[in-house]
Amino acid sequence: MAATPSSKAKTFQSPNKTPTNMYRKSYLSPSSTSLTPQTPETLTPLRRSSRHVSRKIDLGNDPIDLPGRESIQEINLTPRKRTTDVVAETLTTPKTKKKKKIDVEASFSPISPNRSETITKKKKKKKRVYYNKVEFDETEFEIGDHVYVKRREDANSDEEEEDPEIEDCQICFKSDTNIIMIECDDCLGGFHLNCLKPPLTDVPKGDWICQFCVVHKPPPLQGKKLAKRTMREKLLSGDLWAARIEKLWKQEVVDGGCVYWIRARWYIIPEETVSGRQRHNLKRELYLTNDFADIEMECVLRHCFVKCPMEFSKASNDGDDVFLCEYEYDVHCHSFKRLAQLVDGDSDSDQEWNGGKEKEIDSDDEEESVCADSKSKRGLTGVNTKGRIFGVEKVGTKRIPEHVRCYKKNELEKAKATLLLATRPKSLPCRSKEMEEITAFIKGSILDDQCLGRCMYIHGVPGTGKTISVLSVMKNLKAEVEAGSVSPYCFVEINGLKLASPENIYSVIYEALSGHHVGWKKALLFLNERFAEGKRIGKENEKPCILLIDELDLLVTRNQSVLYNILDWPTKPNSRLVVLGIANTMDLPEKLLPRISSRMGIQRLCFGPYNHMQLQEIISTRLKGINAFEKTAIEFASRKVAAVSGDARRALEICRRAAEVADYRLKNNNKTAKSQLVIMADVEVAIQEMFQAPHIQVMKSVSKLSKIFLTAMVHELYKTGIAETSFDRVATTVSSLCLTHGEAFPGWDILLKIGCDLGECKIVLCEPGEKHRLQKLQLNFPSDDVAFALKDNKDFPWLANYL
Amino acid sequence: MPAIAGPSSSPQKHVVGSRSESIGGVRSAEVNTSRKRKLRSDSAAEVSATVVLPVNSISTPMKWKSPRRCAVSIPKTSDEEIKEDSNEKLENPVISVCLEVKSKWNPKDDEQMKAVKEALHVSKAPSTVVCREDEQRRVFEFVKGCMEQKKAGSLYICGCPGTGKSLSMEKVRLQAEEWAKQAGLHCPETVSVNCTSLTKSTDIFSKILGNYESGKKANGSFSPLQQLQRLFSQKQQQSRSKMMLIIADEMDYLITRDRGVLHELFMLTTLPFSRCILIGVANAIDLADRFLPKLKSLNCKPLVVTFRAYSKDQILRILQERLVALPFVAFQSNALEICARKVSAASGDMRKALCVCRSALEILEIEVRGSIDQEPKGPVPECQVVKMDHMIAALSKTFKSPIVDTIQSLPQHQQIIVCSAAKAFRGSKKDRTIAELNKLYLEICKSSMITPAGITEFSNMCTVLNDQGILKLSHARDDKLKRVSLRVDEADITFALKEIRFFRNCLL
Repeated sequence: MAATPSSKAKTFQSPNKTPTNMYRKSYLSPSSTSLTPQTPETLTPLRRSSRHVSRKIDLGNDPIDLPGRESIQEINLTPRKRTTDVVAETLTTPKTKKKKKIDVEASFSPISPNRSETITKKKKKKKRVYYNKVEFDETEFEIGDHVYVKRREDANSDEEEEDPEIEDCQICFKSDTNIIMIECDDCLGGFHLNCLKPPLTDVPKGDWICQFCVVHKPPPLQGKKLAKRTMREKLLSGDLWAARIEKLWKQEVVDGGCVYWIRARWYIIPEETVSGRQRHNLKRELYLTNDFADIEMECVLRHCFVKCPMEFSKASNDGDDVFLCEYEYDVHCHSFKRLAQLVDGDSDSDQEWNGGKEKEIDSDDEEESVCADSKSKRGLTGVNTKGRIFGVEKVGTKRIPEHVRCYKKNELEKAKATLLLATRPKSLPCRSKEMEEITAFIKGSILDDQCLGRCMYIHGVPGTGKTISVLSVMKNLKAEVEAGSVSPYCFVEINGLKLASPENIYSVIYEALSGHHVGWKKALLFLNERFAEGKRIGKENEKPCILLIDELDLLVTRNQSVLYNILDWPTKPNSRLVVLGIANTMDLPEKLLPRISSRMGIQRLCFGPYNHMQLQEIISTRLKGINAFEKTAIEFASRKVAAVSGDARRALEICRRAAEVADYRLKNNNKTAKSQLVIMADVEVAIQEMFQAPHIQVMKSVSKLSKIFLTAMVHELYKTGIAETSFDRVATTVSSLCLTHGEAFPGWDILLKIGCDLGECKIVLCEPGEKHRLQKLQLNFPSDDVAFALKDNKDFPWLANYL
Repeated sequence: MPAIAGPSSSPQKHVVGSRSESIGGVRSAEVNTSRKRKLRSDSAAEVSATVVLPVNSISTPMKWKSPRRCAVSIPKTSDEEIKEDSNEKLENPVISVCLEVKSKWNPKDDEQMKAVKEALHVSKAPSTVVCREDEQRRVFEFVKGCMEQKKAGSLYICGCPGTGKSLSMEKVRLQAEEWAKQAGLHCPETVSVNCTSLTKSTDIFSKILGNYESGKKANGSFSPLQQLQRLFSQKQQQSRSKMMLIIADEMDYLITRDRGVLHELFMLTTLPFSRCILIGVANAIDLADRFLPKLKSLNCKPLVVTFRAYSKDQILRILQERLVALPFVAFQSNALEICARKVSAASGDMRKALCVCRSALEILEIEVRGSIDQEPKGPVPECQVVKMDHMIAALSKTFKSPIVDTIQSLPQHQQIIVCSAAKAFRGSKKDRTIAELNKLYLEICKSSMITPAGITEFSNMCTVLNDQGILKLSHARDDKLKRVSLRVDEADITFALKEIRFFRNCLL
């Protein structure tokens, strides 16, 4: 944060500014440009921020103030026909996405008063065409662009007021584009260099603070100053919104025209987060949210530029519309996450362009899924023709109907897709008891007003659904928070494996709670203040905090102080901290120091290995509706896995592999196959592949001479009974084997090389090669394995005699 | 023991009274020992500390093992106590007087449930620390003495986790401040540090210094330790003669390799014009002896106050003390008693006792809710409090060894491994390599016509068993050379696998 850009010079003669001017003018031309004073807006920011705090109130208010506002909308904003031409030659392709798992979320949508209405209205619409780039009012908008968006509440005032494109100098109140402007680092006001006293010739290096901020006096206001606020000022005071365009599409309206829509991903200003603006927040800092809304193009004002810290520090010369975004803010969990890379990469990963086959898609069912929950207030942005309100979909539930995809999957492919480990199951069978217990534990801790801190230790062998159970419990709880039956809480999820060092957990926790990255020592200090002494990090951190630590055993340091601190906090009064630890080891608390296990409490939960019935149920629930597996095949796979490890991941992997094998088999002999199902034999092949050790496969595929060499070694072992033998002896045996069976003896040099090669593969343990004849050799695997691998050899059937 | 007799005016007087005779004997023994200890530690320079050790060795924490062996592992004293008391119990069962006095408790009422839970929570510090009056008084006397004479001193407090050390120190601190105010002395400056929250062990000096020199300019050229040493070795003006009370919780986190920090910290109290009273708190009984051998020769060995693990009566009293503030009765008195007995026999950890009570409460809560769901019109039992059976369920959840259940729910191949391990370690041999164990495993598989898993799979399964605490794997570079040993009793394995007919032959 220290390396933030110092004084940014605002050179308005820079070429990148001019196009903005042009479109700005053209955009404003249809609306009347009367300079009515702005409506007082003290209410709006409050309303907006209150959305995060108490959703219940918002939902309740919704229907009351909606109709009024809508009527205003309709009067003011009768559909204006715009000349919008589409850059269609390259990118007018329908937008499809990879199949994204459609989560359990559908059932969680809270009851919103206008839901049914929206659905019915939406049903009338027919066509949606997706674009990658749209020219609208002579400006190009592309996916991934950042834009200013009008707030709906003050839409009328915005309409009538002329937004100053170029910022005025704070001293002369003129906007002369030929003079270099300098920005104050405190109030973000712009100043002409020659208006300053004394005038400056160059932009100074380092921070520069204007004369008004030095004496803590606001600059003199002129009459028109209030009316002519720049967009940046409006945004930072909460009167405008910034958003990122995630999707662009054209939609036909009933009366024949078509309207352009965007899916916006909102940015919020620090004041709107749960911790409020803090000292470390820069003036131009924004947070990316996981809150989406579909809005019409009409509400988009113009471009702004949101940059990551690296780019932001370089962008000292890019004008007034540059903002910094370093963190993503989760509006549901109220936690911060550092953005690895803001530039496009993160959201485009799940979008895929599919060559221009279908341009128009009938997408009735998509609409339903999109407007399934219209809870967000941001859905009420801007100009909505006919007062229609479009809901906001949840994160991770972008749904594209099956028939959109050009390629129809067959049953086997569907099965493969659902059996992928990355695919989240729709429901978690066989773990309902454990989930109930976790829910009871968390609710019991956070439902009380005083929130007594507690810990729970969850253990179980890998692949028994520990993490996914906790996460789905948290998801259910989130839904209840939205419905208002549970008070809001913070949720921080940490995986011990992802930490660079155990101490780093402090800074990760602190970053998640406050959105500020500090070193772990400082973070420990702050967290101690927060949890042990009960001070608050932000303005209103009264919420209980749930901390989920996966792979808890990795936090064990030499003196175990990290675990001590984390488990000590819940025992302090006012900590309001609930810790859930997950690990494989059953007896971790006993392995720890007694003082730590004493603080850990007695709440344990064991996830035992699955038995074959449970595995069978898990697989068949995943495959529900897909007729690809024979029942016996599933049972066989689950029985095999349950006998060895009871690991659900492995069972799924075997089934997926079996499906692949079956696919291959069916393709090869298309005619002869009776059924298109996965049969026992396929599962058998998959199990063989999975459980058979790799060394047998290596031994099966080594060269012929190596096979003879290995046979000689086994033979030698049988003869002498001593595991270790010398190269000398093996070579003699090889030569005698070759002689008796009519093979050419390759010579000692080559044999030596073969021995070394086998040593490289670790099939044979051997000394370095320079010892030549005296080199000592030993089989690395039991001789039975070698025998098994070499027995049914087609080249040398006689090998079996010696094994 | 005047301190113990004092608070018995509280409503549970009858409980204490009815058993005063039996406890009396034990108590007097305690008094004797503690007096003896005091004498010794006063003259700590002459008496070797090893004499003190055996007295306290009872309170060392012990691992909880399988339930069948717990009878052996109960410390002797408490064993006798239990026998003695249980006999008396049978003769005159305690009928709680408070049951009649107090209003009825309704577990369906959320507010009341919440109040009980809060009262039982670890973070809620009781207003008075019962059962630790003696220790508190001794610490306070020490602090008082130091403050009166304006001399430095050090004290070391040890005890098992969950015996109220930190809580008592907090109380002593407040008490000392109060006393100083009344006596007209300068209020001592207090520094309470939990050493785990220090990022570096030497940070404790800067923390002390920061408190001492608030406002004074920092001397950049010296380390905080050197500054402190200079400060205490020079004669100071009258204005700076404030005493300083340093409470270092979890002191053993200050132990560095050369023990420098801990040593220097205690040495601060020996400097000629030192004004600090150092109170160190940790679990180890002999921390001062082990790590500070030099102090003994300097005749400034810290005084040692031991917090012994709570006995069953103490746990019972503390639990009752916490619950007495509530306007209703939530626990049956013998339910509390069995909790106290069990916990004191295991570890004497108060935190654990509180957790057990809470989980018993939760069991009751679930039961009540279930009964509501099932038969809303049915007759509701009039007095729903946490009874013996709830408490026993909670205790067994806490203390029961899960080994047998775990072994029985293992996948079959892992059971075979456990079985072969049990066979392998039947002799005198304590550990084997994985390869050797694999051989045994293959034998069993072959004899019962089961396709064995490969060697890699085998070592994976061994790791899983290691995680479950059944086997113990040592670290080795090569997978096959890892040494395996059994961590559970063979009897447990035979007991668990007896049920399954397949293993009956294998184990013979």
